[in-house]
Amino acid sequence: MWVAALLACAGVSAAEPQRQAQPAAHTVVIENMQYSPAQLRVHRGERIVWVNKDLFPHTVTATAHAFDSGSIAANSSWTYVPRKAGEYAYGCTFHPSMKASIEVE
Amino acid sequence: MKATTNFCALLVIALGATAAWAQSAGPTDPQIAAIVVTANQVDIDAGKLAKSKGHSQQVKDFAQRMITDHGGVNKSATELVQKLHVTPEPNATSESLKKGGDENLAKLKSLSGAAFDKAYIDHEVSYHEAVLGALDKTLIPSAQNAELKALLVKVRPAFEAHLEMAKQLQTQLGKSGA
Repeated sequence: MWVAALLACAGVSAAEPQRQAQPAAHTVVIENMQYSPAQLRVHRGERIVWVNKDLFPHTVTATAHAFDSGSIAANSSWTYVPRKAGEYAYGCTFHPSMKASIEVE
Repeated sequence: MKATTNFCALLVIALGATAAWAQSAGPTDPQIAAIVVTANQVDIDAGKLAKSKGHSQQVKDFAQRMITDHGGVNKSATELVQKLHVTPEPNATSESLKKGGDENLAKLKSLSGAAFDKAYIDHEVSYHEAVLGALDKTLIPSAQNAELKALLVKVRPAFEAHLEMAKQLQTQLGKSGA
């Protein structure tokens, strides 16, 4: 009975129309005062998620002000979708030694 | 100036004591926990004073960074020792750090303006150098619990970045004739 119900549920969920696939997401991990990978190449419209695994806040701030996350708390993340091609250097406004870049094609 | 010298001497003695430990049994995990929490708290307290008494905006911003970053480290350290059921055990090193921190605060409170900024930043440079030395020579090698050791390794790059930030500020303050 329960098995049948579970199978029925599984069947229903499998029968749901598939959600439209989201554009590929890239992940940049912020840990040990570094962005990893430090250089990332993406296509326009692709999501980039920065995950802060350090114990305190960081920012993802483009040198030329194209984007700025503001403070990303420990164990939080920030998502950005670049729309314009180009190379963007960025860093952490709190910790000037932290630097990285993204190349948008 | 005398107070700075005294503080630095105390810091060297305090962290030198941990170096002496390295040749014997080394501090235990509960002792390391007390050293870590005290070391962070000392810098948070100095940062709070500098945030309100600091002269230049750069020094105030740096002070805020120390409060936030070392606060984050201490939050994680406290959570970890609770999870591991380790009770931080005060010891000669943690007591010396506390005493040195109190003396530094007393000295800073007697200063103002550019003299305050210089004394605060000079101390931040020597403090971060001393803590990095203690992490490398004693605390990381002595830590027994893998998670405690991992936490110490994880916070090391932050101390390094803070040292660089403090050194740059020290140079800038020197150039501005402070």
